[in-house]
Amino acid sequence: MKLLLVEDELALRTTLVEYLRQSGYVCEVAASFQQAYEKIKLYQYDCVVLDLTLPDGNGLDIVRALKADQSWAGVLIISARAALDDRLAGLDLGADDYLTKPFHLAELNSRLRAIIRRRQFQGSHHIAFRDLLVWPEQAEVFVGEQPLTLTRKEYDLLLFLLANPNRVLTKEAIAEHLCGDAVDATDSFDFIYTHLKNLRKKLQEKGADNYIRTMYGVGYKLSTE
Amino acid sequence: MKLLAKTNRYYLLLTTVLFALASVVLYYGLFRALTQEVDEQLSNRRLYLENRIRRKQTLPISPFEYQMDVSDRHQRPGYGDTLLLDPQEQEMVPHRQLTFPLRVAGQRRWVTLRKSLVETEDVLAVVLGVMVSVLGLLLLGVILINRWLADWLWGPFRATLHALRGYKLHQHEVLQLAPTDIDEFAELNQALTQMSQRLVADYEALREFTENAAHETQTPLAIMQAQLEQLLQLPALEDPQVAGLVTGLYGATLRLSRLHQALTLLSKIENRQFIDVQALRLDQVLEEKVRQLESLTETRQLALSTHVTGVPALRMHPGLADSLVHNLLQNAVKHNHRGGSIEVRLSAQALEISNTGPALTGDPARFFERFRKQQPTSDSPGLGLSIVQQICRYYGFTVTYAFAAVGARHTLRVAF
Repeated sequence: MKLLLVEDELALRTTLVEYLRQSGYVCEVAASFQQAYEKIKLYQYDCVVLDLTLPDGNGLDIVRALKADQSWAGVLIISARAALDDRLAGLDLGADDYLTKPFHLAELNSRLRAIIRRRQFQGSHHIAFRDLLVWPEQAEVFVGEQPLTLTRKEYDLLLFLLANPNRVLTKEAIAEHLCGDAVDATDSFDFIYTHLKNLRKKLQEKGADNYIRTMYGVGYKLSTE
Repeated sequence: MKLLAKTNRYYLLLTTVLFALASVVLYYGLFRALTQEVDEQLSNRRLYLENRIRRKQTLPISPFEYQMDVSDRHQRPGYGDTLLLDPQEQEMVPHRQLTFPLRVAGQRRWVTLRKSLVETEDVLAVVLGVMVSVLGLLLLGVILINRWLADWLWGPFRATLHALRGYKLHQHEVLQLAPTDIDEFAELNQALTQMSQRLVADYEALREFTENAAHETQTPLAIMQAQLEQLLQLPALEDPQVAGLVTGLYGATLRLSRLHQALTLLSKIENRQFIDVQALRLDQVLEEKVRQLESLTETRQLALSTHVTGVPALRMHPGLADSLVHNLLQNAVKHNHRGGSIEVRLSAQALEISNTGPALTGDPARFFERFRKQQPTSDSPGLGLSIVQQICRYYGFTVTYAFAAVGARHTLRVAF
């Protein structure tokens, strides 16, 4: 999967590129509006991760250009501007999602996967991980051949973990993903603990043992081995 | 009291005093002048009589005996006033008289010359009447013209006042004032325009600063957060000691970011940057927020009940409505105990959220202060209720806190 990351801040760009490449994306970068504009005109991307405030232009114009070219690339806006109007303007222009800085890397990846899944495979896509098989469109989960019945929150949690396999996901990132970023993360730690416990138990019952590892004091990790 | 009424009052006072004084002076002045005139006439007649006697002629016989009286008896010589009966008019008429001795044919006689003062009085009356009515008309005219002038001259002032009243800073517009040819008002308008220019510039600078600060701070925070998350993936972080340090740092970064967002929101409200208002259904906002918090209330086994008896007709910024309800609900969840309850009541007049929870220490009036926390060790910045209060102040709502010892219920009530 090929991404274009448009971000003018060097340190953030470097970290994001490193993370996205680790997560298995082919990631190209643009540090300015001009570079980004040239790249979207020359190449095709599955998704463009776009910062709105660029030194030489407004990121929203990139969205406009993409839409004018009828590109199939998804657009995920990452912006420090949290104002409701910016969010609405971005989504109105045809951006798929909007993430306010600062954000959790895992959240970025989870949203990217959702966008690409929606766009590229029209939903007829499955996620396989070890013995797990998930059909996101039907919201069905199988361990081997056996179907697994999960609550809505447990299912969301599992998808979030599956989007970031073998990475430590902090409690805060999980809490914000499940409860929305308006909820104070510290208030919801016992909430995610409960759900993780239940999810683990259900996986264990179907023989999927030791999938979720607890990183003490930090968070959780979907383990590949 | 109006400026015009105030100036008019002194003006009238002065004019009335002057008017009375002038009338008195005019009356006595005229009276004196006319009497002198009569006296001179009498004196002329006396000279005429004396000349006539000197030429050895006899005293004339006056056809009007009351005008000249000749007597042998001694009279007091000199000018005097007297009243005589006018036979035609049958009324007493004032007269001026001059008495003097005259030697006629070697015999000493006393002659009294008289002249009626009726004409003098008439002249006096006419002159005074004309003068007084002219003065009166002048006074009236001055008052009327003053009133009209005030209406007309103060027009630009009232226009300026009207413009000032309707002036809204957040429209980023310099005050527009109509030009006037009166120097004082032109100066006032100029000063006001300059002031509004400064205000607009200051407001803009503040707004830009807040926005830039928000934007510029979020970027380094995003870098810190992203890099710390990357750091957490390193194998070295399996060591709990190192992991503890990094998660501490990570948690602090998140707190800073939250704190920063809350402060930015507060200063934006204070700068009145939430101008867009729209008709808003608070029951829908409430429903959405309750759903968002469901996961939290479930885990803490909180019984949340909502009673909607009416929907207030509100016009407010959707972001602020969201923030208001969210902070109130979050507060009720945070300061609750496991297995407690939250009761939300919405009517057309008020939103009331009450929850069980441990009794609070400290002055309830200070709960709305910034960075006020029930537990000082809490990770939350303690800005939730400040935001609630600011939003209420912004829209003119009142927020009150009450604690009922029975059932240990805390109630926050927002009256619209």
